[in-house]
Amino acid sequence: MTAKTVHKNLGLSEMSWRSSLGVTKTVLIARFKIVLRYKGAIVFDMILPVILAALPILLGVAIAGQAAAQNFKDATGTENYKLYMLIGASTFIVVTLMLWLVGYWIRREMETGTLESVYASPAKRVEVLSGVTLYALIRSLMAFAFAMVVGSLIFQVDLFQGELALALVFVVIGIIPLWGISFAFGALILKVKEADSLIQVMQWVVAFFMGIFFPITVFPPFLRFVALSFPPTWMTNGVRASLLDVAYFFGTWYFDLAVLLAFAAVLPLVGYTVFLKTESRIKKNEGVGQF
Amino acid sequence: MTMSDPIIAIENISKTFTSKERGKGRKRKKKVEALKDVSLEISDGEIFGLLGPNGAGKTTLIKCLTTLLLPTSGTAWINGFNLQKEENKVRASIGCMLMGERGLYWKLTGRENLDYFGALYYIPKNVRRERIDFLVDLLELSDFVDRTVETYSSGQKMILAFAKSLINDAPILFLDEPTVTMDVHAARNLRSIVRSLNEEGHTIIYTTHLMAEADELCDRVAIIDRGEIIALGPPSELKSSIPQESVVDVEGVIPESARNRILEIPGIRTAVVKDETNGKTMLGIICDNSRKVLPKIIDVLVEEDAIIEYINPQEVTLEDVFIAKTGRSLSIDTREIVTPKDAGK
Repeated sequence: MTAKTVHKNLGLSEMSWRSSLGVTKTVLIARFKIVLRYKGAIVFDMILPVILAALPILLGVAIAGQAAAQNFKDATGTENYKLYMLIGASTFIVVTLMLWLVGYWIRREMETGTLESVYASPAKRVEVLSGVTLYALIRSLMAFAFAMVVGSLIFQVDLFQGELALALVFVVIGIIPLWGISFAFGALILKVKEADSLIQVMQWVVAFFMGIFFPITVFPPFLRFVALSFPPTWMTNGVRASLLDVAYFFGTWYFDLAVLLAFAAVLPLVGYTVFLKTESRIKKNEGVGQF
Repeated sequence: MTMSDPIIAIENISKTFTSKERGKGRKRKKKVEALKDVSLEISDGEIFGLLGPNGAGKTTLIKCLTTLLLPTSGTAWINGFNLQKEENKVRASIGCMLMGERGLYWKLTGRENLDYFGALYYIPKNVRRERIDFLVDLLELSDFVDRTVETYSSGQKMILAFAKSLINDAPILFLDEPTVTMDVHAARNLRSIVRSLNEEGHTIIYTTHLMAEADELCDRVAIIDRGEIIALGPPSELKSSIPQESVVDVEGVIPESARNRILEIPGIRTAVVKDETNGKTMLGIICDNSRKVLPKIIDVLVEEDAIIEYINPQEVTLEDVFIAKTGRSLSIDTREIVTPKDAGK
């Protein structure tokens, strides 16, 4: 490349792997500082799954009375409907935080003008997005752990049953494809410049397909196929099957985990590529600052 | 300041936006040419002004040069790096103040904002800390820098945004309308700091629609209108392209018929409304020789029952250059922003 102009230093910039990590760390810390300054935001994340799980549990008791557990066992394989609901609601909060926080972040930064400032800096997109998704990961895992512990105390269910370690593996592996989906969803927000109504609709579509309160076996074949194309469905069922007497989709844990691993290998790459392509298209026209 | 080699070289940059026009139930694609084949060189160590009315294309040009927009065609070299092929190095070479008081995290303190953006510029933590302390002293931020930005006044947000643009101590600074919401005192301080930074060797690209501000600050200016550079050169050179006695400003209640008749007076080149508030009009008249035509202008105004509050042959300003080139006004009088104390370097 022939420099057509004079070349001076890059100011105080020192590009290195340390400074790259520094970007991710700074974004992560800033996200937490900001959310902690909105009083109650994180506490609400933690309480929400417990309230969410309480609704079907109380409904079940009200409708089926003492027979609730047996009826539930007939449909799902386990009579522990309380833990079943709690797992569904807690994985739902993981999914919802992981999927939407990137979208919300983009939308909010567009509105406040900070997205342009971020884009005008030399920090690479992957470093900034890593900070945001890491924040979403920590926040969602905190919410998951808190909801499971508090929920188990409130509903008087034993968490330490079945294969707890395997359940955690399903959660951790299940989160990786969510990154990919969240990048793709972030790209959609960049494009349509709207987040709230989109997320509100998607939230309940996701809840429906991942079967937070019921087994997806109750779906007709087409809907079951759609549900099985969605990684959180495998994550939720994997956790349930590890802890309760619920069947794995493929009969054994390693086949179900292999499906999740396949999603984890492909979706982040696809999602990030979609994000970069959308971003490039937007820069060719109105730019990321338009909202 | 000595002019030297270019630090920014812009080659035939064009930018076309495509938008959807909605009307009577049908959507149509509409193309808007925001920049048309702009070529320009900016010297190392120069304060370069980009002037023009809102929508002229100056912010689009700045956004292209700061990598926020991709040009439809053309390219540029900034600090030795190609705009499209070495985006990250281009970004590291520049400091930007592009959105005024926007672009800050309101739930973070001023210091946290500076630290955040410092990290995004890959500045090591210890260097960052020293740089922030330096900027806090330089820009007198100590009274509010440790409060969250949401509690700041508009002027405080602007000065913090300016500090943010300096965090990297980059060789090139892009300042887009930096004084727009500042009071006279703060704006004067900012201009004085801009001059000091320039004396230290920074190249500054300063966009404004305040012609008087550019006049007293910039070594060279480019006037942009409808995506094209219509005038380029040092302010004094541009102003001298219009004969000294050729601008007359009239203020008062001036009926439209009077304006039309003034245009018919031989020797009048153009007459445009510079400002219109509370029924009063500021009319800028460009003519061949103001001494000759002034009596005729007064005759017309009297015959048309105009109420004249003020009439004066003016010194030529950059705004008059704009009027002479385009036949239109910027419709804002900027003279009140720059006080005599600011004048001259």
